[in-house]
Amino acid sequence: MDIDKIAKSETHVKIIRFFHENQASIDTPRGVATWVGGERAKVKDALEDLVKSNILVAHRATSTTGYSYTRDSKLISQIEKLLKKK
Amino acid sequence: MTCVKNSTIINSQMKENRDSTYQNELFDRLRRSVGLKKEEECIGCIIKPTTWWLVEKPNPKYSDLETVIQGNCQCYKRSDTGNRKKCIDTILCIIKKASETRVLTRFECADGLHGFVYPLVQGDRLYGYLGVCYAKKDVSEQLLDVFTAFTDTIVREVQKELELSKLYETIRPRAIALSTVHTVHRLIGSTLDLNELLPRIARLSLQIMRANRCSIKLVDAKRRTLLPKATVDLREKKSRLKKVRVGKWAPGKAVKFGRPIRGENYLATPLIDEDVIGVITLYDKVDNKPFTAFDQEIMATMAEQAVIAIKNAELYKDQQRLTMGSIKALAKVLDTRAPGTYVPQASFLKITLGMGQELHLEGEDLKSLEYAAILHDAGEIVVPDKVLSKPTKLTGKEYEIVKEHPIVGVEIIKHMKALKTVVPIILYHHEHYDGSGYPKGLRKDQIPLGARIMALVSAFEAMITKRPYRKAKTIDEAIGEIRRNSGTQFDPKVVDVFLKVMNRKDIRSMLEKELYRTH
Repeated sequence: MDIDKIAKSETHVKIIRFFHENQASIDTPRGVATWVGGERAKVKDALEDLVKSNILVAHRATSTTGYSYTRDSKLISQIEKLLKKK
Repeated sequence: MTCVKNSTIINSQMKENRDSTYQNELFDRLRRSVGLKKEEECIGCIIKPTTWWLVEKPNPKYSDLETVIQGNCQCYKRSDTGNRKKCIDTILCIIKKASETRVLTRFECADGLHGFVYPLVQGDRLYGYLGVCYAKKDVSEQLLDVFTAFTDTIVREVQKELELSKLYETIRPRAIALSTVHTVHRLIGSTLDLNELLPRIARLSLQIMRANRCSIKLVDAKRRTLLPKATVDLREKKSRLKKVRVGKWAPGKAVKFGRPIRGENYLATPLIDEDVIGVITLYDKVDNKPFTAFDQEIMATMAEQAVIAIKNAELYKDQQRLTMGSIKALAKVLDTRAPGTYVPQASFLKITLGMGQELHLEGEDLKSLEYAAILHDAGEIVVPDKVLSKPTKLTGKEYEIVKEHPIVGVEIIKHMKALKTVVPIILYHHEHYDGSGYPKGLRKDQIPLGARIMALVSAFEAMITKRPYRKAKTIDEAIGEIRRNSGTQFDPKVVDVFLKVMNRKDIRSMLEKELYRTH
């Protein structure tokens, strides 16, 4: 997996950084948008992108979707390297 | 007494460490402060040439000062050893004086150059000094007043900035944790189905705790055993579902004592309502670290939310049972008038629900369909017996009475709030897809999906059941009739789904068994 391709926008990187620094966090698009200081629609699209790349896990319910960080330790160490570069 | 002394020493050491960190961060920010650079530029250009330096301690030693001056003062670098020593001694002496008076203090160094030292004070606290060397001798008092005011403002600003940043560092993780709690609350509060709720709580607990396995067990009615209700193990494909005696193992002990039981690789948190109703147990953190007191606190919050959600789901289940009981009782009452008309066969219920599922109905919508399947002809109670059992064709007037039955059915159930969503299904279950039905003559998508399903099942049921005025059709004859009326009486999409459901062996054999027993 080319992690550089996944982190294709500043919003993507900010979201990845947020979840990497707060690995126990589960948050809605609105919450994540607040933490990363981004526009909600863009954040929502980026969150879904990151779910497709297995960096985030989506917990879907009727009223909202909660997003949380991957538990894949290999992926987490790849992300660690990526964030150090950025 | 020794303990108190030790604790006082530890506290004072902690305070000292905190103060020293604060002092370091403050001077770090001061050094990077744009305001201080601006001050150096503005005031420096009036009293030039100058050398500015910061002393980061309230009581600096000779060596501290030597390092500061050596790094900043060009004149010092050119001086001989004797003059250098005199320079440092002079400034040390001035710093001491300034620390006592806490005001700007002028000095003349060994090389005959002038300067001043300004103590950086906020409230009672002295943090260090801002020194200026190599200045003009005749710097005016007014200019020094501007200098001190400027410096005070900058120090205050930097301090506020530092405090805000400290506050942010303290509050942000808590705010993020609170937001997580809020999200979890929303996620688990959005379902009232226990079968969906408990695995969801387990998965969310695993995520929050970064653990590998979570098991949720509920106490049985006799309060002796914990029954496994949900187990999620991220390392194994198969979930282990084991009963546990109350008092045994970590989960059993957590329930028995009503408090969390924590070991290195497990954390059992009781679910406490008025009494302990169950336990959430987590095993093996992803990073192999032990569970901590902080984890215990987080899980206690999670358990509180889980209990509310579980109780709500149980209440909802009870309410559904009550509603279903009332509906069945009503159907029984109606059935005494024309036995076999109002209490539907299990197979018809199964066909109805099967069609609903095929059409992606779920939750409330599916439940409404089930209720409607039982009550759809409740309004026939107003149709006189002689009309219901008439062996010949109905007169126009009689047919008008029969056509009233969906409206009467709605009148009967509309007072039950739980059946609000059933109303449109009952009201429109005699509408035809082409608009030729009753009571409103609705067509196509104007007819609610539930009513379109009910229309088909109700017609199929009527065809294969014996009536006073005609013989019962066979299942295949009735299916043929349904097929022929696809697109006119029935929604073709619903017909397709019906045919699919009727192809299921379990449904077909169930229906045949019931019909064989009945007729």
